[in-house]
Amino acid sequence: MEKKRRGMTLANKQLAAGWLFLTPATILIFIMSFYPIVMAFITSLKTGKGVNIKFADPLTYNYSRMLQDVIFKTSMKNTFLYLIVEVPIMLIFAILLAQLLNNKDLKFKGLFRTCIFLPCATSLVSYSLIFKSMFATQGLINSILMKLGFISENINFLGTASTARFVIIIALIWRWTGYNMVFYLAGLQNIEYSVYEAAKIDGANGWKTFWNITVPLLKPTIVMTAIMSINGTLQLFDESMNLTSGGPANQTITMSHYIYNQAFGQGVGNFGYTSAMSFVVFILVAILAFINLKVGDTRD
Amino acid sequence: MKKKLLSLMLVGAMAASMVACGGSDTAADTSSDATTEDGAAAADVQSADENTLTVYAWDENFNIPALKAAEKDYQEVNPDFKLEVITQSQSSDVEQAITLAAEAGDYSTLPDIVLFQDHYIQQYVTNYPDAWQDADDADCDWAGLGAEKLSYSTIDGKHYGFPVDAGTAIFAYRTDLLEQAGYTIDDVKGITWDQFDEIGKKVYDATGKYLLCMDGDGNDLFYMMLQEEGVSQFKDGKPYITENETLVKVFDVLVKLAQDNVLYLANDWSDYTDQAIQGDMVAGVFNGNWIIPTMKQVADNSGKWEIVPAPTLTGKPGYASNGGSSLYITGNCTKTDLAKDFLAYTFGGRSAEDGQSITYDEALLNGGVIGTCAAAAESDVYQQGVDFFNGQAIYADIVDYTQNVPTVEQSDYHYACRTQLATALQNVLQNGYDSKQALEEAESNLKFEMGL
Repeated sequence: MEKKRRGMTLANKQLAAGWLFLTPATILIFIMSFYPIVMAFITSLKTGKGVNIKFADPLTYNYSRMLQDVIFKTSMKNTFLYLIVEVPIMLIFAILLAQLLNNKDLKFKGLFRTCIFLPCATSLVSYSLIFKSMFATQGLINSILMKLGFISENINFLGTASTARFVIIIALIWRWTGYNMVFYLAGLQNIEYSVYEAAKIDGANGWKTFWNITVPLLKPTIVMTAIMSINGTLQLFDESMNLTSGGPANQTITMSHYIYNQAFGQGVGNFGYTSAMSFVVFILVAILAFINLKVGDTRD
Repeated sequence: MKKKLLSLMLVGAMAASMVACGGSDTAADTSSDATTEDGAAAADVQSADENTLTVYAWDENFNIPALKAAEKDYQEVNPDFKLEVITQSQSSDVEQAITLAAEAGDYSTLPDIVLFQDHYIQQYVTNYPDAWQDADDADCDWAGLGAEKLSYSTIDGKHYGFPVDAGTAIFAYRTDLLEQAGYTIDDVKGITWDQFDEIGKKVYDATGKYLLCMDGDGNDLFYMMLQEEGVSQFKDGKPYITENETLVKVFDVLVKLAQDNVLYLANDWSDYTDQAIQGDMVAGVFNGNWIIPTMKQVADNSGKWEIVPAPTLTGKPGYASNGGSSLYITGNCTKTDLAKDFLAYTFGGRSAEDGQSITYDEALLNGGVIGTCAAAAESDVYQQGVDFFNGQAIYADIVDYTQNVPTVEQSDYHYACRTQLATALQNVLQNGYDSKQALEEAESNLKFEMGL
């Protein structure tokens, strides 16, 4: 044994050390992540509540049940609406802000960056509650609109489906734009200034520079932020839960919120069905991330 | 130098946060103890002392004073007895504690007794039978505790729970606002919902206040209005919605009330309590009597409220019940005999039968908890007038209402049904559905959820 070990090459020794260092984290990830994932999948094949839970017949019962679930479909529709409207607006805002703040001659850069990033430091629940009180029927926004004469009667923002969705989207943009901006700023700093100078000498205007230099060079960052935003939006929970509690009439409920309601919201949870729904969300995230990677792939 | 200082600070911050996290771990373990009433040094939700029981409850201003009163009451017969109240922040915490213990298969995390919401208990006993112990052989007079109330806590013919507060509904009116519209409190006694609608419209025109309000997401009006008529949303364990003529009528009444600005549907529970009731938007409140402490927060309106039985479809006085909770012995309790005797003596009404009941009297005085025990209602405390309600002896009135509440079929899917009907109402008011279509959708969604 001793002899053999002494016979290990330097490369092998390093490899062994590498594995040794990796082991604790790997074991933890297996216990904390992979084991629950497998168990959740097994649970998703079961049906019934509490002690009456047993394997469903057929095994795919929970998955086929989802296809007939009107509220799950509504929640999916809502989530995708948030995704399609909010993510592009937010990313465009973020990239524009990053471009502005990357200007070399700008004064108080640090101050502006901090201001725009600051929303990310607030907890999801507290900012939701602040938006809720701002958009309440007797809230700040209504009083301002009223005083300025834009409206003649208080609007029930959170009690009407269309405006409630609008409020959620506004809240999301406020909360997450700064976060994405930071990634773009980091990306922009990696672009050599000489590239811009060369473009200037060649006579490119601001728009052309942005479109032909900044965007292509930022592509990896754009892909990453897009994946993160899509992933985050598909798992949206806090805003739906705290701003509107999914109402009115489930018109603003998100998938995660519906899963939560089925598991903990109303008495004894239907854990089999909720696990199945969670897996569908998981698969959706995976598919969208995959498409995103393909689209963003720069290799031919 | 500067860098060194910075890195030192970082290390310091990390160390501090590690200590804090480590600390919070142990804090989580003992937080339940920290809140016990006398800070007893029990290391667990169970006490080693054979005369001490532990209980989960959630409202410092309502049911916890009732439990304290019960402890004092039982100490008269068992001086060594102690009750440790472990405060929970809300009722759903207790439900989730049961769910977690049962799903994990480890009941050792539960206290001896829990306070539990009536509408939830049936499904929890059905699905997690090992989490509970029945109390059928407890020494108390079950017949004197209100049949409607016990219908929740009796499962398969066995008594499991001891009633704490009655959920008996009250309909409270602001008499000053009624007067401004040209009415008195007598005009709203024994009326139909159609007459109520007429009065409500005049009140809204005269004062700009709604005569009725409810949380639009968790709409309890359906259940209460149906119970007044002695009808349930369920029949033989199945949803009874589109073919239920009474429910269809009630639904149409609510649509009309909302369209006529008589009914205000709040966006959620806090909108209902904080804006509608405490923000003085309404001239009438219809809910379980546990809503009274919420109404009392507005001291300016003291003396302006009075309560009467609710309107019905036919005009007979309406009696209903909503919410309320009872005490249950968990599967983790090893001192079952003590727990049964304690509960039977106090909330089971044995002390009340022997004369003055400290439990019920002090529960009412300190927490405003109105019990269902008929014997307790004879005490002087129940007969006194309440200033907030213009000197009306509302407690005696509410006990009187309690005896008239019809027993209707209960279901594990009570709240699921409530959500579906609330959604149906919103669909008609906002999304252009007609009543029939909305109710059909509600019924099919509910059946879907029940797996029928």
